[in-house]
Amino acid sequence: MIGYSLIPFGHWLQNRGFALAIADSGWAYPFVQATHFSGISLWLGTNFAVDVSLLGFGNKRQTPAQLSDALFVWNWLGFALAVLGGLLLFSVSAETFVINPAFLVKLGILIPAALITHIVIQCKIHSWGKEPQVTAAGKRAGSLELLLWFCVATAAVLIPYGPLVF
Amino acid sequence: MLLQIADRLQDNSIIVALTSTGWTAAGLAILHYYSMFVLVGSMAIVDLRVLGVVGYGYSVGDFSRRMFPWVWISLAVNLVSGFIMFAGDATAYVPTHSFQLKLLVVLVATILSMIVQWRILRWEQTTVLPAGAKILAAISLLFWVGSILMGVEVPAISGIG
Repeated sequence: MIGYSLIPFGHWLQNRGFALAIADSGWAYPFVQATHFSGISLWLGTNFAVDVSLLGFGNKRQTPAQLSDALFVWNWLGFALAVLGGLLLFSVSAETFVINPAFLVKLGILIPAALITHIVIQCKIHSWGKEPQVTAAGKRAGSLELLLWFCVATAAVLIPYGPLVF
Repeated sequence: MLLQIADRLQDNSIIVALTSTGWTAAGLAILHYYSMFVLVGSMAIVDLRVLGVVGYGYSVGDFSRRMFPWVWISLAVNLVSGFIMFAGDATAYVPTHSFQLKLLVVLVATILSMIVQWRILRWEQTTVLPAGAKILAAISLLFWVGSILMGVEVPAISGIG
């Protein structure tokens, strides 16, 4: 499996000073987890709002394009927080994570696919969602993004089950 | 008394079926986490709008009418999935102080969200939001982030979950 070739990197990473400090501290790990989850909440909450508006739900006074513009900064701020918290969590047990199938599927396939869909939506939303009536392509993209981020969350929850389910 | 109820709940055949099978237990966890992300994210957008740091060109009423249905739907999914997860190990959760504190934080956060939604009807009539609105939104945001923190502290402190 591809993950086994990453074990030396995982070993190196989890023996860095910051990773050892988080692992050895009694309180740091839950705070890093909470940072990761707060970032995901902001990221997923803002994505969810835009995607469901592309699908035609919610009030029609704001177009999906206007909503996406209004949430843009907080959307990416949430992503940055999620990535920062995620990297720190990863570094604590990197050797275990790199051989976990659920983690590899999440990071190697699902997140890139969901992220590309998200960026395409942000680039195209001014043509798909400038009116309250969204084009069919916009609706398809919104549905796809909702599905992909749900799959990312599913893979994340399955990480502890990883070696058992794959 | 509470422990007796917890014991009965834990032995309920439906609860046992839902929480002891790997895939159903994982499905509950997926629903619980995903709904928590949507819930806290949606409520954060409303609170940040009241604080004036997001969507300044749009009214608080527009934002709240868009976000609050998702807040309550995701809260309902979160509560139902959370209750079933709790019920599967109820005798361990009931006496755990960190779990009791988590429930209290979620309850306060929910009440604060209800107050924000109720007050927004009045706030949207005014051109400038009162300072009290911003204080309430900041406290609400703090409690929702606190509920996430308490959610991760329960297994960290007690080893349950």
